[in-house]
Amino acid sequence: MSELSPIGGDFLSLLAAHQISPICGQKSQSAPVETQATTVFAFHFRDGVLMAGDRRATAGNIIVTDHVEKIIEVDACSLLAIAGVPAMAFEMARVLQSSFEHYRRSQLQPLSLPAKVRALARLLRENLPLTMQGVGIVAPLFAGLDQAMKQPVAQIYFYDPLGAQFQAVGFAASGSGAQTIRSVLSFQERFGNPKPSEFDLREAVRFALRLLIVASEFDSATGGVNQDTNSFATLKTLDSQGVQDIDAAQQSEILMS
Amino acid sequence: MIEEPYRWLEAVENRREYVRDQIKEGSPAFAVCLKDGILLLGVGTGNSKVFEIFDRHGLVGLGHPADIEKLRQTAIDSAHMEAFIRAPEDVGLRRLVSFTLGPQLKTSFEQIFGAPYLIELLLAEIGSTPENDLLARVHFDGRFELQTGGAAAVASQPETERTATEWIAKRIESSANRKDAAEILLQAWWCVTEKKPFPDDTTTSEDVRTGWRERVAGKTVEIGWLARTGKGRTRFESLSLPQLGL
Repeated sequence: MSELSPIGGDFLSLLAAHQISPICGQKSQSAPVETQATTVFAFHFRDGVLMAGDRRATAGNIIVTDHVEKIIEVDACSLLAIAGVPAMAFEMARVLQSSFEHYRRSQLQPLSLPAKVRALARLLRENLPLTMQGVGIVAPLFAGLDQAMKQPVAQIYFYDPLGAQFQAVGFAASGSGAQTIRSVLSFQERFGNPKPSEFDLREAVRFALRLLIVASEFDSATGGVNQDTNSFATLKTLDSQGVQDIDAAQQSEILMS
Repeated sequence: MIEEPYRWLEAVENRREYVRDQIKEGSPAFAVCLKDGILLLGVGTGNSKVFEIFDRHGLVGLGHPADIEKLRQTAIDSAHMEAFIRAPEDVGLRRLVSFTLGPQLKTSFEQIFGAPYLIELLLAEIGSTPENDLLARVHFDGRFELQTGGAAAVASQPETERTATEWIAKRIESSANRKDAAEILLQAWWCVTEKKPFPDDTTTSEDVRTGWRERVAGKTVEIGWLARTGKGRTRFESLSLPQLGL
């Protein structure tokens, strides 16, 4: 019997060679349930992409915590917004972080954006048994820089729970508060002046925070933004210079101005 | 039957001579611990001497490119598996060398019917303070030496390596900046490759100061910088001579 040889630079096959399966589950006939307990979204603004998420995690009607980081810097030019079951979503983020860095270091070049997008789709497909049972559903958003272009441009992708990937033209949202966010973003993109894609950074941050405030009014599982309790969102931008974090102090100052 | 062990010993000794002969023209490489980080330097063809292994770990080496590549992949795979199973903070140079590279090299060297690795390696790990910096010199037969801080060289001949290391250690203070440190390392590189004696006074002769510039023409000076502090987890950065002001 021959041993499994890892594919050069492929971290997932390296894990398989060591018989480690980070994403695994048993098949079931159960149907998936709706994603809950999150609102994450991303939209293009003038300088790149802004990705935002509330910080609440819930289990049924229980608020587990209001301090979850749902926007994850996968590498220097990729962002992941996780919506769905945190246990699976965080593990996917960890696998992606390891995969991208392992490839960059071993192959001496960064992974291309299409390959990064497909890597996440592959994890979602491997998670299909748990998705079908309704206990491990994940519907993430991904933003990455296309470095093959002369002027690297940030792109947004969204997925269905089975792993199909779609590129978003202007914006994407996922999670239980996504309907509200999508409605407002669609309205603003169509009738707004300026449109979100024309916002500068301050306008984009203010808009994102207001979107979360609105979403939290219609969805109890969305944490929203509350200056009185110093509860803010997780906001990160991705532009040709890479990832930038917008911390609570900056958010507070921009929201108040 | 009695003579078999002696044949084995003779074969191992022959391999030692064979490896040293094969790598004798190898271009030396260096690592030096400074206040703000660790500087790694080698002169090659680009992506051939200085490599990033993990968040806080770098590698320089000389020898057969395919062997360097094989061991580099082994180190990267091992570090990433360790980080994934445990945590990135658990990836340590001491364990990487003691449990992965050292045993693999020793096994390969002593299996006399297989080809030995034609390499000499130097690995570095940046610590939170200069006292916690770690350098590991790994030899083709699996031997390794660990040292905290200071400077180290990797050359094909042990005597040359020892002389170069002592010369560099005397010339570079830990408070030196990257530019000055790189200049000294390039002077040491020139002395080794040109087989010139290392100047024994504190004033470097004009030959040494300018010689390396002519010698590196048409080659790539590969420089790696492991920063002590930084925004993200990854501390390795590739630098060029112009970036250092040289």
